Amino acid sequence: MIRILLVEDDAWLAEMEQAVLSEAGYEVFIAPHALAAIDFIDSSVPDVIILDVLLAGSTAFSLLNELQSHIDTNLIPVILCTNLAEQFTSSQLKQYGVKRIVNKTTMHPQDLIIAVRAVVTAEERDEDLSN
Amino acid sequence: MNGGEGKYEVTPLIAAAHELKAPLALVRQLTLRLEDDTLASADRQRLLRQVILTSERALRLTSDLTRSSRLDPTLFTLEPINPEQLCRDVASELTPLFEAYGRSVTVKTHRHPLLLVANRDLLRRILLGFSDNALHYSMPGTAVSMQIKAFNRAGIIRIGVRDYGPALSSDMWRKLQKKLKTAPQSIHARPESSGLGLYIASQFAEAMNGQIGVVRHKNGATFYVELQASSQMSLL
Repeated sequence: MIRILLVEDDAWLAEMEQAVLSEAGYEVFIAPHALAAIDFIDSSVPDVIILDVLLAGSTAFSLLNELQSHIDTNLIPVILCTNLAEQFTSSQLKQYGVKRIVNKTTMHPQDLIIAVRAVVTAEERDEDLSN
Repeated sequence: MNGGEGKYEVTPLIAAAHELKAPLALVRQLTLRLEDDTLASADRQRLLRQVILTSERALRLTSDLTRSSRLDPTLFTLEPINPEQLCRDVASELTPLFEAYGRSVTVKTHRHPLLLVANRDLLRRILLGFSDNALHYSMPGTAVSMQIKAFNRAGIIRIGVRDYGPALSSDMWRKLQKKLKTAPQSIHARPESSGLGLYIASQFAEAMNGQIGVVRHKNGATFYVELQASSQMSLL
């Protein structure tokens, strides 16, 4: 089963997104802030990370820098799910391992499933090519 | 791009738009979820409750913005107020929201009755704002605590709202100190928000001849407002 780490500090949104993704067959773990996310990743590397940008405590960029600085975490695909989507472009975020940006203000809950499927499929394709 | 430097000037209007975006986006997401016909009745009720409470939070901000634009001293009166009673009223008002988030809000009882000079509406708004902020930063299962302290020699009474959450880094602490004194900052210059709530609170406090501040703890923070003690206090 694909394991997703959902880093979201709004408890109700996290709960709702967890429910939607779980119904789609994914195993979802919630981290309310960057430190909790790092703690989780230290004990268990997820297949995908869905990350909010503005978090209580450190911002998403602290976490992204941390992930990029370790060889065992810099390949985890990250989906940025944020209210600030319009301020970023995919090319700006590529260096941080961000594969997709989902705009929280316009998305449908099901869009998260589509984004996860897309990055997982891309990862599998990349693995096939490298084998 | 490091999430640490400002990219453009943030006017109060932009800050307000940003601050309202999060609750509006949440209401939209919760409502879209309600369209799912297969949801259990209990889940539906819970989502509806969350929509209502989130809308109320957003409306509080719009109301504060309106109020902050009309801070002419002739439009409000300062009067002796029992801060403990006001804290209890605020706690009572916020209890449904806190309970829905799995947290609680408490008021620490002071041994001696205290009175301060304030405008009830403005002080209530400051405390609601601090408490709302504390709710966001506190960990599930913890209690946000309102505390009142008298500095008799200075003739000042401090009302603090203490949360128990992730520690503030030194960098964030410096930014927070700056935010308390200045207009809303760049959205990229601080975590989570533009600082609009603190800016409004500082305006409300100044209108009552007071000030706001923050104390950093290893497991959270206390945001406080300091106001003049009422001379009637000595008569009690």
